[in-house]
This record gives sequence, structure tokens and C-alpha cells, in this order.
Amino acid sequence: MMRLIVPALIFVIVAIAAHFATLHAVPGGIMGATMERMETTGLVHHEFTLAPRATPQTQSVVRPSPDLAYSVCLFDLPSDGALRVEAGPYNNYASISFFDDRTNNFATIRVGAGGAPGSGSDVVLLAPGKTAVDLDGFSGPQVEAPSRRGLILIRRLAPTQADYDRVVATSSADRCALLSG
Amino acid sequence: MRTAIIYGVLILMALVAGSVSALWMSGLLGKGTLSGFATLNVNGWRSDPSIGATSASAYTRARVARHGLLALAKEEAIYFTRTTDDTGDPLLERCTYQLSGGPQDAFWWSITLYDAESRLPMNEDAHLSIDATSVGNTSDWTATISPTQPDNGYWLSSRSAGQFDLTLRLYRPAVDVIEDPDNRLFAPQVRRIGCGDPA
Repeated sequence: MMRLIVPALIFVIVAIAAHFATLHAVPGGIMGATMERMETTGLVHHEFTLAPRATPQTQSVVRPSPDLAYSVCLFDLPSDGALRVEAGPYNNYASISFFDDRTNNFATIRVGAGGAPGSGSDVVLLAPGKTAVDLDGFSGPQVEAPSRRGLILIRRLAPTQADYDRVVATSSADRCALLSG
Repeated sequence: MRTAIIYGVLILMALVAGSVSALWMSGLLGKGTLSGFATLNVNGWRSDPSIGATSASAYTRARVARHGLLALAKEEAIYFTRTTDDTGDPLLERCTYQLSGGPQDAFWWSITLYDAESRLPMNEDAHLSIDATSVGNTSDWTATISPTQPDNGYWLSSRSAGQFDLTLRLYRPAVDVIEDPDNRLFAPQVRRIGCGDPA
């Protein structure tokens, strides 16, 4: 009996460790693979790209909403870096959401003052541990990222082609640019 | 030498068992949905309020990464998933259902149909969701879920979906809905009308 206890204990301990190690690795692994796949489709860092309307033929992530238009910006911040994120105005639902490299939605900013539709938004994203930056004329929120890598999504409600066309027009004002210095 | 080999095999088996169980529980193996670890169930519509939040458990975080990547935290959006009809049977492409609901206390809502791989089913019907802009948000509504378009009314196409599920999104939900969904969510009903022959 005693001969079996030690191997059984080893099995249980190793299995539990492997279980939680795998569980811990899944979100980062999937997020990393998703970002890599986006890069291979032509997305570049620190620039918003408006995705085509979500259809069965164009979907690139799981469970896209066909009623929303998605603009994506991948970020890879220097250790002391910051990113200025601006969303063009849109006269309906719009938001800027920030995701770290483990899929956490660490911040969401409602586009337009107080979430009211019709005006744009201006946000600064800070590298982990970086203190707020002082920019001339900037009074928007500054958000500290939990990780240097991640992605930013602008969602805009666009159930029809006409709505999507309006998103195309306003998305030219979207900005996702590293701040110098 | 023999003992070393036995322990080596034992450790290998433990690594496989631990990893496979984690992948299965996080929905990477086998079928799974966004609501696999749902803590909320409102008349068959299941959700986990910790989706998107840093407080989410390791299981929820892994499952969201697989079945609902880039989901928003509940203050901005809440997601409910339904995998069965009102009698508890799975939702199938070969069946026709009546989906009925009413206004939601949110800025905007939608119901979208996804296949077992959490993808929009591969058809070109352009009828994979209904939302507050199409059916309104002030009165009751009904829609048909079927693989072919009904003669009239709102339609959600299940063509090429196989076994599917429905996701109800509420964007900018009222605080009451977040805090008391059992009483404040208008949970749509899914009534099976009939089924065709299995393919």
C-alpha cells in the first residue's frame, strides 16, 4: 500500500500543477496568436485599421457582432512609452476598449463627452508604471496599461451598409500614435 | 532504471492529464460556449458577470479567450448565451423556432446566432442577428429562427449552423439590469415550432 502512495502523490501534484499552468497560459497564448494573425493580415502597430463588416466570410475573431464596426490598433509600448488614442466622432454608440496581453478589458472609454454620441474622444495610454504625461491642450483621461503589449478596439454601432459607410468616413480621424519623448 | 522509467511515464501521464483537463474545462477541447461557467441563468439565458474583468477566474478567463475574445466588462456590455429551447433541447439547424422578446433596459441590444465553433454560420443570408435598431426597443416582438426565410416577419438564419447558440448583447445596460438581472432582464423565449428530418 505504502508503495503506491508516493507515486500517487506525485501524479496528483504534477497533474494539478500542469492543469493550472495550462490554464494560466491559455489567455496569453490565444491573445498572442490572435495578434500575430492580425499582423499577418497587414495590421501594423500603432495605427487603427477598420475591419470589413463582420460576416461569415470576413470574421477573424470568435463571436463578432455583425451589427458593430471594429477598428483595431495593436500596441507594443516602449518601457517608458505612451500612446495617444483618438476616435473620430460618431452619432451613435461608440466606445474605445483596451485589452492587455491576457485578454483583460482593463479600460473602456465612451466616445463623446460623458458618453454622449456625436463627439470624438481623446485618450492617452501609458506603459506599465509610467506616470501621467503633460501634453499641451490635452485634458482627456490617461490610462495605465497592465502590459506593454495589447490591442485597442473602437466599436461603433453599424447594423446597415449605410451606417458602415458613415464609420468609414469618420474612422479617417481615428489616431493611435506613440508619443515622442 | 526500471523505477526511473516508471516514474517518467507517471509524470508524463500526469502532465497530459493536467493539461488536457485544463483545455477541456476552458472549452478548447470539445464543444463549449462563452457561458460555460455561467453564474447567472435567467430563463435559460446564461452569463458570467466577471467576463472581461480582471477579477475573472482562471477558468472564465480561458473560456472567454476561446469563445468570446475581446468581450467587454459588464459596465459597458453584458452577454447572455442560450444553447437550448424553452423545453431544454439543443438548438438545431433543422428545426424552426419562434423567438419572442421585448424592450431591454440598455442603450442598445442584439441577438446573434453562432455555430458550435463560436463563429457566424457560413451562409450568405445576411440575417444572423436582430437588434434594437431593427425591431425597436419599445414594444414586444417576435422573429423566426430557421434555415430558410419565412414568408414574413423578422428572421434569424440558421442555415449551415448545425447545433447553434444565441448570444444576447446588452450595451450600456442600466445599473438595475447589472445588479438584478433575474428581475430586470427581459429574457426572450425560444419556442420550437417543428423539426425537419435529420440531414
